Amino acid sequence: MVLELRNAKKTFGEGNTLVEAMKETNFLVERGELVAVIGPSGSGKSTFLTVAGALQTPSEGEVIINGKELSQLNEKQRSKIRLQEIGFILQASNLVPFLTVDQQLELLNKVKKDNMTKDEQRKLYEDLGITKLHKNYPSDLSGGERQRVAIAKALFSKPAILLADEPTASLDSDRAFEVMELLRNETKSNQTATIVVTHDIRLIQYVDKVYKMTDGVLQLESSAGMSLDSTE
Amino acid sequence: MFLAWSEIKKNKLRFLLITSILLLVSFLVFFLSGLANGLASMNREAIDSWKVDAVLLTEESDKSLYESALDKKIADELDAKETAVVSQMGAIANNGETKQNVMLFGIDREEFIKPEVSEGDPTFYVQNGVVASDVLKDEGFKIGDTLELSSTDTKLTIVGFTEKARFNASPILYMKLNDMQKIKYGDAYTMNKDLVNAIVIKDKDWATLSLPDNTEIIETEKFIENLPGYTEQNLTLVYMIYFLFVISAAIVAIFLYVLTVQKISMFGLMKAQGISSAYLARSVVAQTFILALIGVVLAFGLTLLAGSFLPNAVPIMFDIPTMIIYGLVLIVVAILGAVISVWTIIRIDPLEAIGG
Repeated sequence: MVLELRNAKKTFGEGNTLVEAMKETNFLVERGELVAVIGPSGSGKSTFLTVAGALQTPSEGEVIINGKELSQLNEKQRSKIRLQEIGFILQASNLVPFLTVDQQLELLNKVKKDNMTKDEQRKLYEDLGITKLHKNYPSDLSGGERQRVAIAKALFSKPAILLADEPTASLDSDRAFEVMELLRNETKSNQTATIVVTHDIRLIQYVDKVYKMTDGVLQLESSAGMSLDSTE
Repeated sequence: MFLAWSEIKKNKLRFLLITSILLLVSFLVFFLSGLANGLASMNREAIDSWKVDAVLLTEESDKSLYESALDKKIADELDAKETAVVSQMGAIANNGETKQNVMLFGIDREEFIKPEVSEGDPTFYVQNGVVASDVLKDEGFKIGDTLELSSTDTKLTIVGFTEKARFNASPILYMKLNDMQKIKYGDAYTMNKDLVNAIVIKDKDWATLSLPDNTEIIETEKFIENLPGYTEQNLTLVYMIYFLFVISAAIVAIFLYVLTVQKISMFGLMKAQGISSAYLARSVVAQTFILALIGVVLAFGLTLLAGSFLPNAVPIMFDIPTMIIYGLVLIVVAILGAVISVWTIIRIDPLEAIGG
């Protein structure tokens, strides 16, 4: 497996003000797997995302990314892991406003080796339908186009894990479904382990597994083939 | 550099603004340094041209040439390598058309401070002939002009011009010591003919010379610093320049800080993606360097250009090595101004960017 949380727990404060944002969690995701983590806001989704994404360490338990246990690592070391292993797609477009689409990807070449080759990049652009946009700045793009560029940027560094936080939040339904379709295809073709954190349950038709977060407890809701209606 | 330059290209206007402010500040720094240099040489270029190591004055004169009077025979008693006597007197010279404040310097023709004549007769054979500072040419004085002096009936004749002959902001008229003493002391000439103001000394070991009573020997630089008004004027300009360094640091600091604060969420997102603080900080420093370099280089050229259009009355003189040093200081100071922004970037928590 590529990402594993073992008895991972995240608490804030202490004594009377102790808050368990994420209760003891066990979680596994494999390459080529697309999973969704759903739940209302305040349920601990974001905490889960930041712990799984090496943005913070768990208070207890272990987080293992591609074989590396990172609960003891400092921010600098985790920053390196994020750069090497994780692609982020965030709700607010995580594009740099003064870089063209090509430059967004080129920036990664400046800070990291072993990214996609020119040919792979061209293919990625075609898959995502952004070939013609490569010289545009983010401000010239529509919301859907921006999110597709964000996906390209996340995949360009060939991450083991793709973390998407509300990737469809700013999009209308058609665009949202289109983006999920793309994420699914890229997960399969690039063999990444993709986790989509969302509150939009319409998206779960595209994923292999659905986890539900309620009050800091993460539970497997359904796997592919299971009927969702039966659990609702 | 990649991020820094891409951002400058995309947001030309805002970076043009900061560069133009840096340009103006640099221009002012260069201009003031030229002015400081020009004013300084108005005071000291004659002494500099003598290349003397030290000046001997009376002790009671308190390092002032004007108040000092000593016997020129002292020069023979001194064990210095080379000496020259200087008798000085201020006057208003009038050639019939123009009146001009001048400084009469009586010198011994056999000694080393005899001026190099750039135009006219290099000898002083003519009775009361003077070799004048060439700045007087701009005031309308010519070779052959007869000069009336404010304090005496004696008339002087300009026999030649020499370069670099200003002292304490007045043009010098060099003349024979004897002619000069007659003008200076009038009826008391016989009694005072050996009294000169100072003896200038060319000797690296001047400090070890044994001195007659009631005399004082001072280093040339110190002598110049004690010229009336010299130090005050110089310090004023130098402090203005130093203050401009502080101002440019503050301007850059404020401007970059505002830009950085606007980009905090962007930097947070980049840090979340694993781009290191060091890379982002380097980018801000690189940006500052680019802007400061462009501003300083343009200002450098502009200053020299502006200087060539100024009337001669403006005492501006550009010293290129000093200007290069000031330019480098401006760039370094601008980069120091970026430190607050770098610190801000380092403190950005990538977690906040995700809203976690």
